[in-house]
Amino acid sequence: MVGEFQMKKYILNSFIAAAILFTAACKPEIETPAGTSAGQANFSKYIAIGNSLTSGYADGGLYLEGQKAAYPNLIAAKMSSVGGGAFTSPFFTEEHSNGSGYISLTALVNGTPTLTPVIDKLAFRDPAKHLDKYSGEIQNLGIPGMRVDLSFDPTLTFSAANPFFERLLTDAQVGKTNYFQYIQGRNHTFFSIWLGNNDVLGYALNGAVTVAGDPTTVLTDKVTFSSLYANLLNALTAGGQKGIVATIPDVTAIPYFNTVKPSVLLAAAKAANPAAQAVFIQTGTGAVRVATDEDLIRLPFQSAGLFGQGTIPYGLHPLNPITNNWVLDKDEVVKVKDYVNSYNSSIKSIATSKGLAIADTYAYFNQVKTGLTVQGIGINAAFISGGAFSLDGIHLTPRGNAVIANVFIDAINAKYGSTIPTIDVTQYRGVKFPDTK
Amino acid sequence: MKKILLSALLSAPLWVLGQGFQVNLQGQKQIGMAGAGSALALDEASVFYNPGAVTFLEKNSVSAGVNPLLFKSAFKQTGSNVTENVKDKIAPPFEFYAVWGPKSNKWKLGLGVYTPFGGLVDWGNDWSGRYALTSLNLKAIYFQPTLSIKITDRIGIGAGFVYNHGDVNLQRALPVNFPDGRSGHATLEGTGKGYGWNAGLYIKTLSNISFALVHKSKVITKLDNGTAEFDVPNSLRSSFPAGNTFNAELPLPSTTSLGIGIPLSQSTTLAFDASWVQWHIYQDLSFDYATNTPALADTKSARNYRDGSSFKLGINHQASEKLALRAGVGYALSPVQDGYVTPEAPDADRYILSAGLGYTPTRHFEVNASFFFEDVKSRKQKNIETGLDGTFKTLVYAPGISLTYKW
Repeated sequence: MVGEFQMKKYILNSFIAAAILFTAACKPEIETPAGTSAGQANFSKYIAIGNSLTSGYADGGLYLEGQKAAYPNLIAAKMSSVGGGAFTSPFFTEEHSNGSGYISLTALVNGTPTLTPVIDKLAFRDPAKHLDKYSGEIQNLGIPGMRVDLSFDPTLTFSAANPFFERLLTDAQVGKTNYFQYIQGRNHTFFSIWLGNNDVLGYALNGAVTVAGDPTTVLTDKVTFSSLYANLLNALTAGGQKGIVATIPDVTAIPYFNTVKPSVLLAAAKAANPAAQAVFIQTGTGAVRVATDEDLIRLPFQSAGLFGQGTIPYGLHPLNPITNNWVLDKDEVVKVKDYVNSYNSSIKSIATSKGLAIADTYAYFNQVKTGLTVQGIGINAAFISGGAFSLDGIHLTPRGNAVIANVFIDAINAKYGSTIPTIDVTQYRGVKFPDTK
Repeated sequence: MKKILLSALLSAPLWVLGQGFQVNLQGQKQIGMAGAGSALALDEASVFYNPGAVTFLEKNSVSAGVNPLLFKSAFKQTGSNVTENVKDKIAPPFEFYAVWGPKSNKWKLGLGVYTPFGGLVDWGNDWSGRYALTSLNLKAIYFQPTLSIKITDRIGIGAGFVYNHGDVNLQRALPVNFPDGRSGHATLEGTGKGYGWNAGLYIKTLSNISFALVHKSKVITKLDNGTAEFDVPNSLRSSFPAGNTFNAELPLPSTTSLGIGIPLSQSTTLAFDASWVQWHIYQDLSFDYATNTPALADTKSARNYRDGSSFKLGINHQASEKLALRAGVGYALSPVQDGYVTPEAPDADRYILSAGLGYTPTRHFEVNASFFFEDVKSRKQKNIETGLDGTFKTLVYAPGISLTYKW
């Protein structure tokens, strides 16, 4: 009896084992090398150097959701399977998750967006709008507004003037350091640097007008840029570290400059008053002329409430043109593009001489401008609908961060023979659309 | 001021048909032989496999069978270390046949109801290809009344009229986000119909080697007034109007088969079938929405299929009076060209293996069972239209059983 029972049990167990084996065999397998090797790189301590793009700034502000989706954070998460260590960032707390505040899309009527500031859960620690301090070591060192020239700020005052920098410093450091000093001594094994955008963007975003006494609106001299950038890379590679540098996108590749077109303004004006003849602008030289679509008008103009106002309708008459600070006229576009190209050739040649990987975001954003499809998602540089750019028309959505993080990962893997897995772009959102009519 | 144009969101394709949708499960005996057997007057499933052989069946019969099919597909994005699998869903291809004719007469009537095309793939709403597809449930049920006539003692011809009832439910995520971050969703659902025919020639030579030539026509299935539902944030509702409908066409291809049956001994028969599936009719897929908006244009997606083909070799061995054993191997060439592979039908060339057995307890009853396995080769692809970039690998398992009553 016992023997028979054991025999039955044996048969039963064999049957179950066979069923499990069969089910396991059922599953199709796909073998790839992703996530198996760091190649010649060492990702155990990665630091990210940069500006607002690196910090995760989006929708006109720095807030927790954006910080978590910042491209360095997405890259670092993927590095973990190839020897990457922890990656720390100066996150705002959940209680103050909206950080500096940001803008959200609250209505979209006939294609016209209503953008509303988010003002709850802010992280201001005093009426002067200083942000909550963050102490402790961090590896995402991106600071909104940071520039190559101001990284070397000899006056050391930018560390007090920039609230995003100030929040990371101890009271003893505020006004006593600059970014170049700040990023050193961090014992990193790998770095990324995407810096220099603001050296030209600060100028362009102000309509190519440099405000006296405001160093953030200066256009950094080309030679100065090159030598300072070399200093940065020298410091970051002082211990023989490997890393990746990124080029600077063309400013005309962002919605901030390609949304409000003179032809669209004119069509709107004609719809309201058929007598409207042309859109007039004041150029950088002070001249007043008819605008064409080669002249780029800044995105905030669409909600500035200026156009067509006044007894001499604003922007529609040579006596009341759109003022210079709203316009990057076509000559200024040429100038700005020339600076971007110059910075990029410096970035690439210095990086190449140091054997670093290069994420050519300049080339990639030009593709985005034309439009491309990634994993079933159409992505382009259109404001709101393009999916890559957030509501400020300059910074990236989580989806845009994921896409650009893959550009970094591909370049790192190609250069160092590593197999950092790529990011599933579809897990990251574009612009949030309101669920109300 | 700035019109929001969302047309790019919908420019991606909505579905595609592939070899993956051709379901080669129409008779347990033939399935056990990898799908070969058009040149054998085996049983009432000849209504499908070769109407010309039906008249050579010795008995009248009815049979019904089912082949629960498990389509196990996996995907890995290029550069990723995450493998994603379709959910386990059982598709139920089935077949029903009836054959009747006065004994020792030259003709027989037949009826077949079977599912030659279909697909059930559910990748879930969170997988990395969700903006190309989340799920597809496609069923084509063919109804085929048939007449088969003996021209001589050794030559039979037969033909049937085909009516197709098609059902499709196709879903994908839309890359627009709600305030809580979740994606929009599109569901296209419709019913269609189409017509065609199935004709065959059966020749039994003096050496008892038999030949078959069979042509199953294309069936252009038209879907009219399918429902197109878009779950999008309300601020985009005007771009994706509620209550929208669509028209579309599913071109189900014609198949020409050449079969040979070779009796190796009194009890053992070898069958070989070569089929040519004329998928080239599938050049593009168009969706015509009743209401168009700047974001929701009619779509016309290039498919550029080439013809597919398959080669199947099967053996049937009558082990005893009551027991038959069967086995088969096959190979099929995919009609889907590089750049057009999609998650609906992650198609590639495939190997086929099968086994089957038949049991005849009485002279009236017969039970047949089969097991059908397909190994679809791993294929790394970047879809031209969606940019979906990764490797697909698919295994298909289909056990089956049928009951037959003969008189």
